[in-house]
Amino acid sequence: MSDDRPLWRDPRLVVARRDVRSLSREKTIVLALLIQLFVAAFSSFLVVGLTSLYDPSSVSAGEVELAVTGDAREELEAAAARQERASVTVFESESAAQRAFERREVDAVLRGDYVPSAEGPGRRIGVTATVPEGSIRSTLIVVEVRRVLSALERQERVERTVHLDEPPVPLPRSVSASQYFGFTYTILIPLLLFLPAFISGSVVVDTVTEEIERGTLELLRVAPVSLLDIVDGKALGMVLLAPVQALLWVALLSANGIAVSNLAAITLFVTAVAVVVVTLGVVLGITLQRRRPAQLLYSVLTLVVFGGAVLLPEHPATTVAKLAVDSPTLVTYGHVAGTVAVAVAGYALARVYVDRVAAEAL
Amino acid sequence: MRPRTLLRIAKWEVTKNAGGVDRRTLAVMALALVAMGAVAAVAVSGGGGAGMDAGIYRIGVDDDSPYRDVAADDPTFAVREPDPAAVERHEQELLYRGTRLRSVPRTAKERAALAELRSSTEGYNDRTMAGDDNRTAAFPVSVTLVYAQQNGSSALDPRSGSDGDGSADGGSGADGSGGNSGSGDGSAAGGSGGSSTSGGTGEAAGGSGADLGALGARLTGEVQGGTPSDISPPFPFESLVLAFLYVVPMNFVIQAYGSSMLSERLNRRGELLLVTPASRGDIIGGKTLPYLLGAVGVTALITAALRFGGVAPSGSYIAVLAVVPLVVLFLAATFCGAMFARSFKELTFVTVTVTVTLTSYAFVPAIFTDVTPIALISPLTLVVMDLTGRAIPLSSLVFSTTPPLLTGLVLFGLGAGLYREEDLFTQRPIPLKVLDALAGRITSRRSALKMSVFLLPLVVVAELAAVAFLFVLDSVSLNVFGTNQSLGVVLALGVIVVIEEVAKSLHVYAGYEHARYERTLRSALAVGALSGLGFFVAEKGLLIARLSNLETLPIGEAALQGTVLPAGLPLWVAGLLFLFPLALHAVTAAISSVGASRGWRAYLGGLGLAVVVHFAYNLAVVSTLV
Repeated sequence: MSDDRPLWRDPRLVVARRDVRSLSREKTIVLALLIQLFVAAFSSFLVVGLTSLYDPSSVSAGEVELAVTGDAREELEAAAARQERASVTVFESESAAQRAFERREVDAVLRGDYVPSAEGPGRRIGVTATVPEGSIRSTLIVVEVRRVLSALERQERVERTVHLDEPPVPLPRSVSASQYFGFTYTILIPLLLFLPAFISGSVVVDTVTEEIERGTLELLRVAPVSLLDIVDGKALGMVLLAPVQALLWVALLSANGIAVSNLAAITLFVTAVAVVVVTLGVVLGITLQRRRPAQLLYSVLTLVVFGGAVLLPEHPATTVAKLAVDSPTLVTYGHVAGTVAVAVAGYALARVYVDRVAAEAL
Repeated sequence: MRPRTLLRIAKWEVTKNAGGVDRRTLAVMALALVAMGAVAAVAVSGGGGAGMDAGIYRIGVDDDSPYRDVAADDPTFAVREPDPAAVERHEQELLYRGTRLRSVPRTAKERAALAELRSSTEGYNDRTMAGDDNRTAAFPVSVTLVYAQQNGSSALDPRSGSDGDGSADGGSGADGSGGNSGSGDGSAAGGSGGSSTSGGTGEAAGGSGADLGALGARLTGEVQGGTPSDISPPFPFESLVLAFLYVVPMNFVIQAYGSSMLSERLNRRGELLLVTPASRGDIIGGKTLPYLLGAVGVTALITAALRFGGVAPSGSYIAVLAVVPLVVLFLAATFCGAMFARSFKELTFVTVTVTVTLTSYAFVPAIFTDVTPIALISPLTLVVMDLTGRAIPLSSLVFSTTPPLLTGLVLFGLGAGLYREEDLFTQRPIPLKVLDALAGRITSRRSALKMSVFLLPLVVVAELAAVAFLFVLDSVSLNVFGTNQSLGVVLALGVIVVIEEVAKSLHVYAGYEHARYERTLRSALAVGALSGLGFFVAEKGLLIARLSNLETLPIGEAALQGTVLPAGLPLWVAGLLFLFPLALHAVTAAISSVGASRGWRAYLGGLGLAVVVHFAYNLAVVSTLV
């Protein structure tokens, strides 16, 4: 390669620029960002929606009205009184409580009776909880009932400590904490950071196979560039897109008050992952030459590799999570370094392979 | 369409791709799938034990603290020696000496860590207690959970809320809210539930019929003499797993299908088929058939595996039938995408969009297994019901499968409009291609009426999906505002109005762009009015078709239709209420049509105005009728 060419006219950069420009011309990159946003919104929707269904404390739920009745009603009342979201009415007679339930004056009826136990000395409190069936609201009620009964269980265990081999560990005090903290760092951030890399790999398969299928690769070969240059350029363009998008997401998250730590390490890691999948895409594209098999194999293999990463001491998603939440360990940094090594070695091998492919045969 | 030609093309599609390179690919793919299975097996058997959140919190705790074991049992925590300096450096989130918390949780991470420790302590206590000899003292509370029907109405019941939501668009007797909530089951359970609770027990709605091994049993929510921590809300876990099991293979099928369709458009390859005597329908049908059969075959295999593998012994052909509309929808959307896309790259993005959108369409409604009318929006619910051995009424089957099936056919129709020489090999941005597809079906002014009818299945599916999505929001906003449910209702109204107005006017705009209509005010008004009329008629036709299973879907049905008349009104009021929507649809469509005749900016303006008018009308109806 002659050295009198300025850097920006390097054929590899020219090819990279051309590919990225065609992406932006087709506005596909916008679509890609939209997809990622949608995926993120969808998963947040699921998690936020589900946790708010199953954990009333995460939304300011209306109070759940409980009717308590039976012999053990005082104990039940005491347990429920400590729960902020439950309000209790004591009914002397069970039928009155049932009537109130049927008239929807209360959301659930808890009937507590002392029952003999077969599994040890003493008596248990047998609670029959009647909850309304078949609505989202009943889920909230079940959760609240469970909360009250767990409190009752703790209270009774403490009273019966003398009969236990080991006393129960006291619960740490409850604090108001974000319900979604764990989700944000262990699911959402890894998702947003890995999706661009996977999409890049898929697009590389497309650009390589499209040049071959359309026959435009022949035109490129007339220009004074080698197949290796073309492949380098295509890979470079797509690899660079991944960290750029990742940084964009990080900026967006920070604007929403979600701090992401260890940005340098994360960017390095995402770039390395992008190199690995893009290498896979390039090799598949060159080998199979047709989009359909190449794309199919790409998705299957990516799934296998990403799923197989479970066997590592730390899943890549966990690596990202630990870096982002600022709890990295040596293992975490080891994974980053290992991925970089795999990326470099893999790409070097791929270059050797591409160099040996007879370009005329494509 | 001739079956012989169609079959020959289908045969080509299969044989052309099974030889040579693809056999090798298949081998690699089979190996990869085996590897995937092996990985899954290893992961399940606990080889790669740690979860995704392993070690994100670090806790400093000394040896004699009871929390040391608690934290050591929970992989979320990394256990360290207590070190106040490390807390200062933000290298430990919590610091425990004995049972006392010595650090003050300030940051979000520290608070989240404490909340996590609290819940792991609960789990830890239950585990240690399980080993205690005195089980009565260890588990002093036993619980029986009974599901029962309530009568009367509750301000907090979201069903009355969604009912109001429904009457929103015109009012199906918002008054009946409480009693109305599922008129069918309400009356039946009222009888039995009235006498005693145990009488009204019935099946727990949360899929208690589930027989998916231990999985199902654990999740039914019915506990006989369990402990409080055994109670779990009816979580539709099986739908979640099944959704992925049935939907994931479809993504591979549409990827291959999309590639095959788009490669016809490269280098004018498709021209060879176009010049043969085979018709457009033969070509498209023939090229689609193998993928359709393949996807259905895979579904049948999965169902058979579930059935004979003992996971879901009651799985039957109904599960396969229920997936067919989804397959058609996936293929149709991909077909349109392949007709629109300019390059493989664009197709990739279109495919991913299709995947994500349709997966959420199939998946989100299925979450609400308890609220059958919402759940039935997704055909996957039928699959879940079939696999868990619940009976499926014919009306549910029809309601659940018809809209996606028709939508799939409409999408095929739209894409087929582009399957001709002049469109197939031209490169245009996707939005223009969409307009091309719409304009391809317009011949005269009366086409506006036809198009509004034609697009109705799309509208129905979009609105149903919107209702399912907003249903969660409705329950959330219900909690935020106490008894006030206006946010959910208003959002549902807004989304539905936008969908309807776009559906009524987009094809009109396409007609103007392709010079199918004259750009005069008179013509614009006429086209708009026709489009509105078409929409009104289609909406009515659909209503009558669905009257048969009205009782099974109070929420979804009501939210869609602005046309169900409240009972007990004087005839003239009923007549007015019948005619008002017609006037409304005609007027709003005319507004956007006038805009469309003057370029795209004016179209957007007109569309916005139409949306505002429609929205104001609906809101007025809601506030007067509710």
